[in-house]
Amino acid sequence: MKHFSEEELIAYQLDESSERDAIRRHLEECAPCEAMSDSIAETLRVFSAEPVPEVDLEYNWQRVRGHLTVLETKPRFGWLKAGWMWGAAGIVVAAVLVIALLQGVTVRHVFAPRPNYALNGHGPLTTQPVEPAVAGHLDAAERLLTEVNHASGPLDDTTRSQAHALLLKNAVYVSDAHTQGDVAEAAVLENLGRVLTTIDNEPEAVRRARSVKFSEEADAPEGVGFRLEMNTSGLLLEIRILRQNDDRKQ
Amino acid sequence: MDKVERDAIQRVLTGDRDAYRVLMERHFHAVHRITFRITGDPEDAEEAAQEAFLRAYSKLASFRMDSTFSTWITRIAMNTALNLVERRNRDLSRHAPRIGEETSSAENVVQFADQSAGPERLLLDHEATTLRQAALAALTPMERTAFTLRHMEEMPIAEIATALNVTGNSAKQAVFRAVAKLRQALAPAAGGRL
Repeated sequence: MKHFSEEELIAYQLDESSERDAIRRHLEECAPCEAMSDSIAETLRVFSAEPVPEVDLEYNWQRVRGHLTVLETKPRFGWLKAGWMWGAAGIVVAAVLVIALLQGVTVRHVFAPRPNYALNGHGPLTTQPVEPAVAGHLDAAERLLTEVNHASGPLDDTTRSQAHALLLKNAVYVSDAHTQGDVAEAAVLENLGRVLTTIDNEPEAVRRARSVKFSEEADAPEGVGFRLEMNTSGLLLEIRILRQNDDRKQ
Repeated sequence: MDKVERDAIQRVLTGDRDAYRVLMERHFHAVHRITFRITGDPEDAEEAAQEAFLRAYSKLASFRMDSTFSTWITRIAMNTALNLVERRNRDLSRHAPRIGEETSSAENVVQFADQSAGPERLLLDHEATTLRQAALAALTPMERTAFTLRHMEEMPIAEIATALNVTGNSAKQAVFRAVAKLRQALAPAAGGRL
């Protein structure tokens, strides 16, 4: 007959045994094991009788409360108070800005479309175009057109020769603009070419019209002079916008 | 954890310390039962229970709301009570009275009760209580805690093991050793019947 150990019988009495049925059957047949099991049960009975004394909750609360400090949760961004964190944050922000600036320049250079500023652009005028040769040409054309626009009599030979020289250069710049695909610049320069051609080949009737504009000759063809003035004024605006465009390209 | 306890904790964490009373009202008696089982002394039990609630209060910001406050405070209370028992044992070993033939308060000498008397008298009178307390005091803190919580509070072994930070088998073995020691301690008093 196999007897059970004290530990197995303790587990049985505490209902922690996995051999509960086997032990119960064995205890019915084995007197020594039954005696030990009863002894264990008696021990457990002796040590389970002690009642827990009552406690005064209010008394204990007051004792505990006297030691409680007011709790405050740490602010979520309390680390911002640390000075070194501000320095580190500043470095990070500066680095991000530099990277963003470099990337922005690159992206703008590669992907920026070429909107038609000649038609839609507005803004301050500039004297700093990208290409110095074109800038000089536009400056000269602007001065000439302004002078023609405000001329009160027939154009002198100097003005007409300047217009001729500009007309020759203008043909080159028109060709360059077309080659570079700059339609807006090409259109303005073509208009400039037409006006310069008109000035270079100013017919006698126009000269007379410009001269009589203020002398009020009865037979003067007023419409021709007025159209030239209007064309010149419009072209001046276009040239100024074109120079603004060049500045934006920069 | 129910809404009342959750709200109380939130209020405590935002500076309302009186809200902690809600948690004490709900759990102090259970905590006190455990500390009493572990310490075996009414005054020590109250002291340990109070200290457990103070510890829990100071750690309340780290309490995770996904577990129950009951389980959490129970674990703290068990550790607090165990520490108190160990502290008391150190003090006793330093200042314990010596057993002698004659009682002498000047020399801190006492007489020990005759345990050969009948078990009926021992278990029914004051000496029986003394013997029982002495038997429990002879257990290690781990054995006493595991035994009292399993046998007196009928706490599952797994929960005891978690609270004591030991394996389930270790907790179970601690209970078994405690019962065996207690039975041995009571055997002389029972005249060999235990």
